[in-house]
Amino acid sequence: MSEGRSWMARAGAALLALALLYPLSALFARIGAWQWSAQVREPALASVRVSLVLTAIAMVIVVVLGTPMAAYIARCSSKERLVWQAALLVPILLPPLALGILFTLAFGPFGGVGRLLQHYGVAMTNNAPAFVVTQVYVAMGYYVLGAVAALDAVPSMLQKQAALLGLTPARVFFRVTLPLARLGLAVALSIAWVRAVGEFGAVVVTAYYPSGMPVQLWVDLQSYGLPAVMPLLVIFLAVALPLPWLAHVLAQRRSNA
Amino acid sequence: MLDAHFTKRRRDFTVSFSLELGSGESLGLFGASGAGKSTVLACIAGIEDPDDGHIHLADARLFPPPLPLHRRPIGYLTQEPSLFPHLSVRDNITFGLSKAEQADTEHADWIATLKNRLKLAPLWSAPASRISGGQARRVGLARMLARRPPLVLLDEPFAGLDRQLVRELIDDLVFWSKSIGFSMIAVDHRADVLMRLCPRMAIVLEQGQIVQRGSWAELCGAPATPLLRSLLAPL
Repeated sequence: MSEGRSWMARAGAALLALALLYPLSALFARIGAWQWSAQVREPALASVRVSLVLTAIAMVIVVVLGTPMAAYIARCSSKERLVWQAALLVPILLPPLALGILFTLAFGPFGGVGRLLQHYGVAMTNNAPAFVVTQVYVAMGYYVLGAVAALDAVPSMLQKQAALLGLTPARVFFRVTLPLARLGLAVALSIAWVRAVGEFGAVVVTAYYPSGMPVQLWVDLQSYGLPAVMPLLVIFLAVALPLPWLAHVLAQRRSNA
Repeated sequence: MLDAHFTKRRRDFTVSFSLELGSGESLGLFGASGAGKSTVLACIAGIEDPDDGHIHLADARLFPPPLPLHRRPIGYLTQEPSLFPHLSVRDNITFGLSKAEQADTEHADWIATLKNRLKLAPLWSAPASRISGGQARRVGLARMLARRPPLVLLDEPFAGLDRQLVRELIDDLVFWSKSIGFSMIAVDHRADVLMRLCPRMAIVLEQGQIVQRGSWAELCGAPATPLLRSLLAPL
């Protein structure tokens, strides 16, 4: 590429990047003094606690259930792998609001599992379990598909060599596969985290209470307007962005090394 | 010790192989590139499963059914030594040893011998991802020998290395095969390398079939096929 064309391509990429980052400039928009009265602050801080604690629990479940499934899929034949990937794509592709409504029906009195849960006195709406399970549904596909890609990237010959050196399959996984895939797994988890912590459409149907940050932002926007939304919005961005951003940058740096 | 009779279908031809190898014996598996030599080693190592036949190593039945890799008392070294890049040279070499074995004096002495003989001391704490190709082969050799396997399989482990280093590594392998007493099957498309490594016995493969077996003198004296004659001509 000539120097002139290279310069134009770089300028074009910079313009597009600026356009994508432009919405962040709204954090400095002149909308008047931000509102952080007790009336706004207390539910906002409660929503931060709800989002952080319950999303963390959801992520533990996603990792504990999703990692073995990813390890299994990574070893499958390509035909079988297609079946699992198709299944995992369903919750990813479902519109969030539709997922929330289906979830409420399936785990409510109209669904088989819901009736069973009710029989044991477990309700799955507007409570912490409903919040966590919704997030698990929303995030699991992202994590498992990302984890499969991370595990695929570990050369199979290294695993076979480790086995020939006397390590059982479980020890090969923990001593070779996991350490070599850890950055890819971190990226997969960070995507799952962002997807779960930012989920609104499904959670607003299944768990309006306890309100997480997205629902509380919506409530504040409806009740008090933009000045009341901004402080919680900054906290929301601070919680959601840095971890996955860092994981991606590190992963890119490593793959470019 | 090793009793192997098996076939393995490949896309282009079927590999048929049979061998009985005694304890401490070594065999050179010779032939042109793509003759099926690596397939033979991969089947014995367990990296690939044969379609038919049987493989026994001492009292262990390797096939059928395929014995899991971690139960095979086999050392396997390939052209790409497949070091674990997240570990140091030292941790690569002691990878297959349990904590108890690493603490054991006899094992520690053996690791120290490998370290000195293969000139690994300057690399000992270096990350395996930061060493050169020639150094990686030496580390791979040390890692394979650390567990003192009774059978060692070498799949062109010296390709691309300079002649001096190849000579040193061959001398080390021959020395240890005698002192430890392991059996060895080596694959290479260079007859001179194999003759030094496995001077007594060779099997020649063409299109997956054994076309000749015997001593190197017999092979050089009366090559069974025109292709073998041309491969041995430079000697």
